[in-house]
Amino acid sequence: MTEPYAVPVPKGYRVGAWEVREPIATGAFGSVYEGRRVAADGDRPDLPKTAALKFLPTGTGTPRQLTHLRELIEREVELYRRLKQPRLIRMYDTLVVDDPAGPALDGATVLVLERAEGSLSALVAAEPRPAAGPALLAQICEGLAQLHRAGWVHGDLKPANVLLMPDGSARLADFNMAAELEGTHAYTPAFSTPDYTPPELLWSEIGERGRRIRPSADVWAFGVLAHLVLTDSFPLPGATPTARRDAGAAYARGTDELRLSPELPDAWREIVRDCLARTHADRIPTGDLLRRVEAAAGTGRSPRLPRRLRPRHRLRRTKVLVTAVAVVAASVLGYGISDWADVGGSDGSGGESEKVTPATYGADELRTDKGIPAAYRRLIVDSAHDCVQPEVTPALIAALLKAESDFDPDLSDPAKDEYGIARWTPAVLRWWIRDDGVPAKETPSPPITPSESIPAVGRYLCFIEPRLRADLSGDRRVLLAAAYRTSFKKVNDAGGVPPKSSAYATRVAHFLKEYTPQDRDYTARVAQYLEEYTPPRKA
Amino acid sequence: MYSIIVVPPPTTEDETDRTQLRLAPGERLGFGRSAADNDLTIAHDGVSRRAGEITAQGAFWILSNLSREQTYVVENPEGAGEHIKVGPGRLDAPVPFEFSRIVLPAAGDLLPIEVWAPRHDYLSSEGGLDGATTAPAFSVDRTKRYFAVLAALCESRLRGEPHAPLPTVDQVVDRLRPNWPAASRTSVQWNIDYLAVKLRLKPGPETADTGPRLNGKKESLVSLALRFDLVREDDLVVLRGPLREPSSAAVSGRPAR
Repeated sequence: MTEPYAVPVPKGYRVGAWEVREPIATGAFGSVYEGRRVAADGDRPDLPKTAALKFLPTGTGTPRQLTHLRELIEREVELYRRLKQPRLIRMYDTLVVDDPAGPALDGATVLVLERAEGSLSALVAAEPRPAAGPALLAQICEGLAQLHRAGWVHGDLKPANVLLMPDGSARLADFNMAAELEGTHAYTPAFSTPDYTPPELLWSEIGERGRRIRPSADVWAFGVLAHLVLTDSFPLPGATPTARRDAGAAYARGTDELRLSPELPDAWREIVRDCLARTHADRIPTGDLLRRVEAAAGTGRSPRLPRRLRPRHRLRRTKVLVTAVAVVAASVLGYGISDWADVGGSDGSGGESEKVTPATYGADELRTDKGIPAAYRRLIVDSAHDCVQPEVTPALIAALLKAESDFDPDLSDPAKDEYGIARWTPAVLRWWIRDDGVPAKETPSPPITPSESIPAVGRYLCFIEPRLRADLSGDRRVLLAAAYRTSFKKVNDAGGVPPKSSAYATRVAHFLKEYTPQDRDYTARVAQYLEEYTPPRKA
Repeated sequence: MYSIIVVPPPTTEDETDRTQLRLAPGERLGFGRSAADNDLTIAHDGVSRRAGEITAQGAFWILSNLSREQTYVVENPEGAGEHIKVGPGRLDAPVPFEFSRIVLPAAGDLLPIEVWAPRHDYLSSEGGLDGATTAPAFSVDRTKRYFAVLAALCESRLRGEPHAPLPTVDQVVDRLRPNWPAASRTSVQWNIDYLAVKLRLKPGPETADTGPRLNGKKESLVSLALRFDLVREDDLVVLRGPLREPSSAAVSGRPAR
């Protein structure tokens, strides 16, 4: 490794309970050193003796000059805090260097990470087509499946970001580009690694929140990586990254076919081909990919993982970092980090601000103490906010889900043809599943996930609202739910809640009341909205 | 996924919003007088029936001169007279400029076809060329006028007033005139529009209804540029020094150390 270290740290340097040993690796954004735990006050016997210390240069320059860097660091820390999965590198702690005498390091963020033996990129360089390739690919794919299932996209999967543990197993690392899915896609910073970037993201449009990516971008990168590990060559032809990028563009436009290496074993050929489908929609979903990769690798089915990961609240972090983070959040332009609502205020004063976790997301509109699963809060609140009709509130969507399925994401009722957390009938869902208002090409098939169900509920309610007559009796929100259950025509014809749905409507009304915060300002605000913005309706 | 934009010659004097044709790598655009043989018809008697072809070739483009006796000149409008000549019959001549103007001599008139290559890559300070390094998605040339325009737009915010109102186009013109005497409202506006293309700015929802709104575009450009550190405080020297000074300053949005 001849390139200069992004963050030079002298051997023997002390940070927290750790002493810096040998350098391990450096990337564009930070440098990693081996750390050895030395006895210190507040020593934690639960920590291992050695760890990898990732130094990120948050201390240098002024905040406004390092905006994107800080954003990248925040993403990584956030993901490590929220996800603890067997195939993802673990983070033990985060520290901030306090060393006024050493301005080059003062203020740097240090992630204390699980120590790995090496990276897949080093393995492939030393041993092209490694014998362990298929088994490693199965583990990498398992890591991707864990990430995707938890609602995240990695955004920068490549051999250097796959670490190998002392027992030879693989884990995913480097989550600077990772992003949490919002519905069907996520926003990541505008960085990418050319050889692993799917063609639709080459020169893609970039909004103020960054670049929109989907889990299928990781699936593409996995296809490239698998081809590289198994054949020691890239799937797209060309001697330089630029030539391969142009080949990728030509392939995506349909002017060129994909010509995979003849060395690729047959079982893997189809897998790589399905990962490298021209458009994101044609790529294989991660769950199916994992099953096929495990079959091809001859490894057993991975043990079933928890269906949804609950966020961790008991965070171990220093207060120094909280403050630093508050300043960062305030300096981020746009919405890069959507969690950091209300942190610090525009003056960046930080102070005692608390981070908004999913458990408190949208707390001023949706109560946090009534058993609404935290995992769905974001989907519920954001789906309600996507609708301009003031009646479509987070509390209404939550009450509807409670009445429909008791928040059971796996509900399956083939007799009534209703599935998932919102009891969608697939043939109806088809019209609401897409966020651009266009019906899906095909009727979705169960299982139907909450991330499909809940935004579609918001869209459907938003469509129903203006179609309900103005002279109906009863709470309009309850009428909306009744129309969701039956149809707006039936509710209009009945002049209110149809008798057959009265039990359902009563339950919705009950939960609606329970989930709405008892904050007079908020209730009054909703009432005022309803008053002011109820458009004149045609009878 | 286009990499080249072709702007045909203006058809009427007063037309302000000229068509833009976008070419993806490998795509070819024929131009000439005959409507049947070409993708871009240039209705002028002095132009050959099949006058030439432009092909996007990755991030750059190549020009074929299909005329029998006319030499085409490809100028770099920001290059202080820099140009190349493509003689009659020459096929697939590579053109290295980010901005180009093909000048077609046509019976005493000179018809300009503009070609932009906004995807030119520049060496990123960290990465190198190995394709395995995480690289920024933007590549800007700090010696170009668009960079000076961007710097002028970002100046007040970079100087420590994060909520300062953005300068108006006229203020940008005044700011740049000492180093760029020919700066005008139109040319600054042109550069702002080009930056939106170059930085692949997603058109805001408002543009669909009411047409492009300049304020939204400027605001988005500045917030994108600051967010990804395309312009930093030390880049503001471009507002002081002479603009067209070829130097090693052509680097992309570099990761900070």
